[in-house]
Amino acid sequence: MSVEKISVARFELLMDAGFGAQKAGDILIKAFAHTGRYVYIEPMIPAEISPPPRTRPALSGVIIRVADFDLKNIGNDTDIILASQEIVLDRRLDDNEHNPNCRVLLDMGDKKANEESYENVCKRVTKLGLSIYPFEVAQEAKIIIKDLQGRGKNMYYLGMLSAIYNVPEETMIEEIKDAFGKKLSADVLEKNIEIFRYGHQHVSEGFQFSYEVPSSSNGTAKKILIDGNTALAMGIIDAGIKIFSGYPITPATSIMHNLAKILPSYGGLVHQAEDEISAIGTAIGAYYGGVPAITATSGPGLSLKQEFIGYATVAEIPLIVIDVQRSGPSTGMPTKTEQSDMPAVIFGSHGDHTKIVISVGNVVDCFYAPQLARYLTEKLRLPVFIMSDFQMANSYKILDKPKVNVMEKGEDIKDFILEHFWIDRLPDDIEMVRTEQSDPGTPGKMRRVTGLNTDNEGKVNYFAGTNQRSHAVRNEKVHHVQRALKQPELFGTVKEGDLLVVGWGPTRGPITEAVHSCQDQGLSVGGMCFRIVYPLPLMLKEIFSKFKKVVTVEMAYGDELKRTPLAMFLRSKTLVDINPMVSRATGRPISPMTIETNIKKTLKEMKS
Amino acid sequence: MSDQPITMKDLQTENPRWCPGCGDFGIIAGVKRFLVDEQLPPHETVNISGIGCSGRASFYFNTYGVHAIHGRAIPVALGVALARPELNLFIHSGDGDALSIGGNHLLHGINKNFNCVFVMYDNELYALTKNQTSPTTKKGHKTNTQPTGTYLDPIIPMAFALGIGASFAASTADWMPDHLTQTLKAAYAHKGFSFVHVTQRCPHFYPGNFDTKSAEWFSFLTHEKGVPADKRLKDKSEVIVHDPSDRDQAFKYAHSDRFYFGLFYRNPDKPRYDEILQAQLKNAKPQDRSTILDKFEI
Repeated sequence: MSVEKISVARFELLMDAGFGAQKAGDILIKAFAHTGRYVYIEPMIPAEISPPPRTRPALSGVIIRVADFDLKNIGNDTDIILASQEIVLDRRLDDNEHNPNCRVLLDMGDKKANEESYENVCKRVTKLGLSIYPFEVAQEAKIIIKDLQGRGKNMYYLGMLSAIYNVPEETMIEEIKDAFGKKLSADVLEKNIEIFRYGHQHVSEGFQFSYEVPSSSNGTAKKILIDGNTALAMGIIDAGIKIFSGYPITPATSIMHNLAKILPSYGGLVHQAEDEISAIGTAIGAYYGGVPAITATSGPGLSLKQEFIGYATVAEIPLIVIDVQRSGPSTGMPTKTEQSDMPAVIFGSHGDHTKIVISVGNVVDCFYAPQLARYLTEKLRLPVFIMSDFQMANSYKILDKPKVNVMEKGEDIKDFILEHFWIDRLPDDIEMVRTEQSDPGTPGKMRRVTGLNTDNEGKVNYFAGTNQRSHAVRNEKVHHVQRALKQPELFGTVKEGDLLVVGWGPTRGPITEAVHSCQDQGLSVGGMCFRIVYPLPLMLKEIFSKFKKVVTVEMAYGDELKRTPLAMFLRSKTLVDINPMVSRATGRPISPMTIETNIKKTLKEMKS
Repeated sequence: MSDQPITMKDLQTENPRWCPGCGDFGIIAGVKRFLVDEQLPPHETVNISGIGCSGRASFYFNTYGVHAIHGRAIPVALGVALARPELNLFIHSGDGDALSIGGNHLLHGINKNFNCVFVMYDNELYALTKNQTSPTTKKGHKTNTQPTGTYLDPIIPMAFALGIGASFAASTADWMPDHLTQTLKAAYAHKGFSFVHVTQRCPHFYPGNFDTKSAEWFSFLTHEKGVPADKRLKDKSEVIVHDPSDRDQAFKYAHSDRFYFGLFYRNPDKPRYDEILQAQLKNAKPQDRSTILDKFEI
């Protein structure tokens, strides 16, 4: 068997929910990571806990991208799909994320009872021009799986995939022991390893193809493997935030799970509220009490929290809200990604409320965003949002270990974090609506806060002049941020030219990759992604004017008559005729390939 | 800060903007009197309120205060309780605020049993929005939203509190200052969520709802471990000895057509959510923040 060396690979394992596809994926990426490869992993999670097996909603799996360079995104062209049965495969083919040479490995174990269904799906694979490799789990392994009441098949597939990608068998066994060592009895662990060995053997003795992604030569820096929500949770601790107040909602909840286990050891509390509104109310109460607090939510919770968000603005109480976006409205697709909350975050709540919105575009941003949020909210006494999304929350990535800062006060923000988010330090004296802002317990400084309009002494009045002043002071706080924003950096070498592709948040990885690829091909294409999305920097129009056309890429719905949120927002800010180039609300991330194809199409249209 | 004793004057702010004769004057005067009696430093006291006539209460104390949003003083108060357990916490909430828009929070506030004094201003209608039916409006009473007469039987706040498992449930009225202050004293002494129901007059929209000249339509519940009967009214009214550990009897009084003022129930052993979280903090093995990412190293 010959081994083909490739710089980057992407493959998938598809199974019924509850049979350990993600566990197998976790073990494999650790093995890759420990042998010097970069990985990006995206779990495919069903919306239900235990959907019936052998149905389309039961699809549960992992997508793994592995490379000898630092990966910025999950990509979109799968080389190998391994499926435990035909229905989950059929379901996944709908997403159309395979490349033309994709090999499909299909377990035929269920075929006997489902002849017709198998035949139809196999026909579909062939019709798509993909090569199909039917196989059956070895008889010896089947006996052990039966012995384990049907568990352990994921280990067989893990064996197969690790053999295909040439990960040494012994490395894998160490990882399996590491993953299960404390959870399984010695006997069960041994059986799982045995199943794994049969799977490995299956490929090494029976398959004609094998790949190797070389180890990365670069970097002596320590690496970590972490997902977006865990990075946010660790960032919250590093930012010195002491109270997390939340209500369970997918995909924000895992932030709370992470913190519930460990926050008390870092001097903080996790509070699970009776509802979304209460959760934000308690965060506001805690920050009023002078203790840094945060709440996290997703779409429906964001809608429910809006009144309190407006209140915090007027009452001048610091507040940090994380919105992990999902496909909506309402419950929508809770385990699929989208970035359509932008209008609700920026323009939600009532009256002329003001706020600052930070977006995260990778795991490093997730770790540093809480520190920036704390700095801004304590400095301005305005709500600060951190916007993430389902895919960012759940995707794992290998990265250079970020610097831990142990923040004690908001003012302690490190310059490199401000620079990372392209913002300068704010002026020392920023005017508040109310002059006195002491924390409770401070003698002689007693004050009441309210959602009613007040003068600078905090006395309620409804006079025209004081209300106008309150608005001016609150908006001036945002203007301070706007003036402090640095010019956004454009990707690569093209700073002026034909086409500028603009995005924000989770599309940063794919846009970067697509724009670099186009620039390598000599195309006059620039790219830019915002890190702070509200307010926007002042010099935008100047940047946009250097390109013949400016377009957006957004994971949000748009068509000829409805503009996507970012396009709409940028137009209103710059009066430049900006349209969405890619506006997709499929629940799946937008791939670099899709962006590149659309860039070329747009350039062609511009010429004609 | 001076070492002078705290007086009523120290607690004054601007003049309240309530209607003449409003029961809210009596309630905040009662709370202030209590703060003076106990000499609680104004900077260590936080008054938190929702929206409505009662919602303005927090503004009329020269202490720290939060005039929050409608129905949601309790979540904000919990935040203060978790962040600053050493502060004295008073929540002011009306009948609409507490039992309608904020019903879920009252339910969970009582169950969480975090340390605060919850004062429910019950004038049996929405007043600031100009005379609408509230959860406690008497059946048949005409309002702007149910002009032919309120359709349903009222929710009984005391029965609600007892039903949820309040660790402290007492009742008083705005026009009996001595009893109000004594009730607050007992409520403050109890560690947990002290539910204090205050029957309150609304002379503007509900004149004559409560006959404050007579004391025959109510009884005082007293006990050596409870709240003494009002000094001024005890001779004009029935006084009953009620053991505040007797929850069944408390339910009977709560469900009666007659009014009872005093301590209905107290359970000092109910677990406190705030105390449990603070204990987690105290008992957790401290970790060094600078090593927070070490466990993710590969």
